[in-house]
Amino acid sequence: MRYIVGYTDTPSGEDALNLAVRLARSMQRGLDIVIVLRSEARATLVPVDAGYEKYLHEAAEEWLHRALTLVPNDMDAKGHIVYAESFAQGLLDTSRDLEGRMIIVGAARGGLLGRFTIGSVANSLLHSAVVPVALAPQGSVAEVGLEGISRITVAVGTRSGAKELVDAGILAARASRVPLRLVSLVALDADGVDTPPRVRAQAEEHAAKTVAYVAEHLPDDIDVTVLTASGSRVEDAVAALEWDPGEVVFVGSSRLAQPRQLFLGTTAAKMLRELPVPMVVVPRDSILTVED
Amino acid sequence: MAVHQTERGLSKKGLSAGSVGLLGAIVIGISCIAPAYTMTAALGPTVSEVGLQVPAIILVGFIPMLLVAFGYRELNRAMPDSGTSFTWATRAFGPWIGWMTGWGLIAATILVLSNLAGIAVDFFYLMLAQIFGNPDIANLALNPVINVVTCLAFMAAATAISYRDMQTTQKVQYVLVGFQLIVLLLFGIVAFYQVANGSAFDPVPVSLEWFNPFAVQSFSAFAAGLSLSIFIFWGWDVTLTMNEETKGSRSTPGRAATLTVLIIVVLYLLIATASISFAGIGTGEFGLGNEDIQGNVFFALAGPVLGPLAILVSIAVLSSSAASLQSTFVSPARTLLAMGHYGALPERFSRISPRFLTPGFATIVSSVVASAFYAIMRFVSEDVLWDTITALGMMICFYYGLTAFAAVWYFRKQLFVSVRNFFFQLLFPLVGGIILAVLFYTTITESMDPEYGSGSNIGGVGLVFILGMAVIVSGIVLMIIQAIRRPAFFRGETLERGASNGRDDEELDELPV
Repeated sequence: MRYIVGYTDTPSGEDALNLAVRLARSMQRGLDIVIVLRSEARATLVPVDAGYEKYLHEAAEEWLHRALTLVPNDMDAKGHIVYAESFAQGLLDTSRDLEGRMIIVGAARGGLLGRFTIGSVANSLLHSAVVPVALAPQGSVAEVGLEGISRITVAVGTRSGAKELVDAGILAARASRVPLRLVSLVALDADGVDTPPRVRAQAEEHAAKTVAYVAEHLPDDIDVTVLTASGSRVEDAVAALEWDPGEVVFVGSSRLAQPRQLFLGTTAAKMLRELPVPMVVVPRDSILTVED
Repeated sequence: MAVHQTERGLSKKGLSAGSVGLLGAIVIGISCIAPAYTMTAALGPTVSEVGLQVPAIILVGFIPMLLVAFGYRELNRAMPDSGTSFTWATRAFGPWIGWMTGWGLIAATILVLSNLAGIAVDFFYLMLAQIFGNPDIANLALNPVINVVTCLAFMAAATAISYRDMQTTQKVQYVLVGFQLIVLLLFGIVAFYQVANGSAFDPVPVSLEWFNPFAVQSFSAFAAGLSLSIFIFWGWDVTLTMNEETKGSRSTPGRAATLTVLIIVVLYLLIATASISFAGIGTGEFGLGNEDIQGNVFFALAGPVLGPLAILVSIAVLSSSAASLQSTFVSPARTLLAMGHYGALPERFSRISPRFLTPGFATIVSSVVASAFYAIMRFVSEDVLWDTITALGMMICFYYGLTAFAAVWYFRKQLFVSVRNFFFQLLFPLVGGIILAVLFYTTITESMDPEYGSGSNIGGVGLVFILGMAVIVSGIVLMIIQAIRRPAFFRGETLERGASNGRDDEELDELPV
């Protein structure tokens, strides 16, 4: 049971590695740190030069060694250099070959104030991964260091089909012995002045249902809170919540996704823009990939 | 896909075997040579040297290129390294000569980069003029300020593409190369049609004498023409060195190189004979002897030959220059990278962008130098394109000749082990190297004459000579500075001199030609 880290020798790669160390430590997993080089199978204007390929490989080895020094000694971590047509493809291939249970990458830089922007790599991963994909926000190292996860928040939509996600959250919280928080996000009307009672009622009903579901499966060994966050937009609802720097948010993939594949829904994509903490996107119906 | 673990021995390269087929290899080869760009840049200067005998010079000019390319291939196989000529010459002759060889390669590629961008600027405005039906737009390229600014914009775009390693898909490459070939064929055929029709500018009947290299008036003209024709085949050697990576049988690279060069030679001969036959070598408006059009021949001839279809030529030259800009950018960047890596230049040259996996710093430096060079030259000389091409021929002779000698010297212990070694490691590179050395020497001495080439001169000394000397002398100065600051490389501590181990290489493929 290992996690795959998509590493580049950049600050964003370090964010990914840092998040991976924290997740793996909390859940007692090993790490496979992967650097993807371009396979020469892709079309180029310039013929492949064996000398340069060799040089690149040596550079990649150096980057890997540096990455491995960032991992605490007591953890089980291995480095890999992989050739693929793209970074995302390399990670997907590796996760399949090594039966990785999660893929962890850094979010693209350039988001405002440490907020997320989805890079092309994360984007293509989210469209085709069959295992959960964790996205590390920019610069999280400075804030939380290598501490384990402090809490798991599961963001449940107002639609049905969140059971698997909640299960994933429960299992992850249990594995890492941290509290679980279930959040139902409700976006109210755009002007937001008069909250239609029907919407509020619906949200509360949904939250109640979720509580009921969790209560049914409620493990005695973890601490669960349930709450509803509302705002005129999803982003506001997210911003209204209190966030612990050490926590991780689980969101489900869109119902548009094919079974067992990830696709970031619009709500999750909006959340992403406001989230100050790492986000794990869990494919629907693949709970077993989080915890066997 | 292959997974390598760092704990175990790493495989040298993760090449998924065989990805470039015969057609793919030919397309890459033609794309690197960029015939549309090369012809428009080199035809005029060559005519000015050898007159009607351009076809002969094209045929003869291929020989030294081929001979040296054999040595290049042997070295590439024995010591694959991103520094190519720099690394090989250092291994064979030690740090000082190695440094200058690397410098020669970088200078040559910088010269060609600035020339490429310059040609692209001319055709960019010509194309706009053709699109809007307003010939005045084409003259904007003559304004030095507009010209330089546009050129810098092109360079910046090419740098960004190179830095981020953006690649076109194979399909696009095939289309671009196919288009380029069709347009050049069309140009040649229509020019001949007009000659037959009597509507050509200055019709000259093709004669066998054009193909006779001994009809060139003087040896110095012959040498000058030859050093130009070396430039037109430059880039072809890549097909020859695309060794093990090509798909299919072991003979694929050889066949690809042969077919590429056949296509190119036939095309060059067609264009050269057609242009001369159409326009003559006189100094009239469209005559190839007219100094005003010699630096960029198609720019002037496309309209008279193709009429309303002239825009096709603009598109072909532009796309050809763009592809060539991108592939040419790679060479100086990788050589600078290797020089940084072995301590011959500051360490930051050796850095690879971890995101884009390209030699980031080296790419930017090459671009800045090429841009600055072009900007200065544009103001110093009106015939900047012409002069850079002539200086370029000289620099290619310099570093390519040294590379050829490096092959002979590096393989010295095994030259007579087999017949194959005798030819490919001794005879061919040695003869090629001597030809290039003679060309280099002749060009240097001849170019002191202020009337040489385009006739640009500073204080009565030919501009081409000044350019060549400036490049070499500044190389020596920089080398000495580096030797003081970073003595390890110059003491041979980072890259040792050596020789091949004297064993015969059994992994051979057939004669490629």
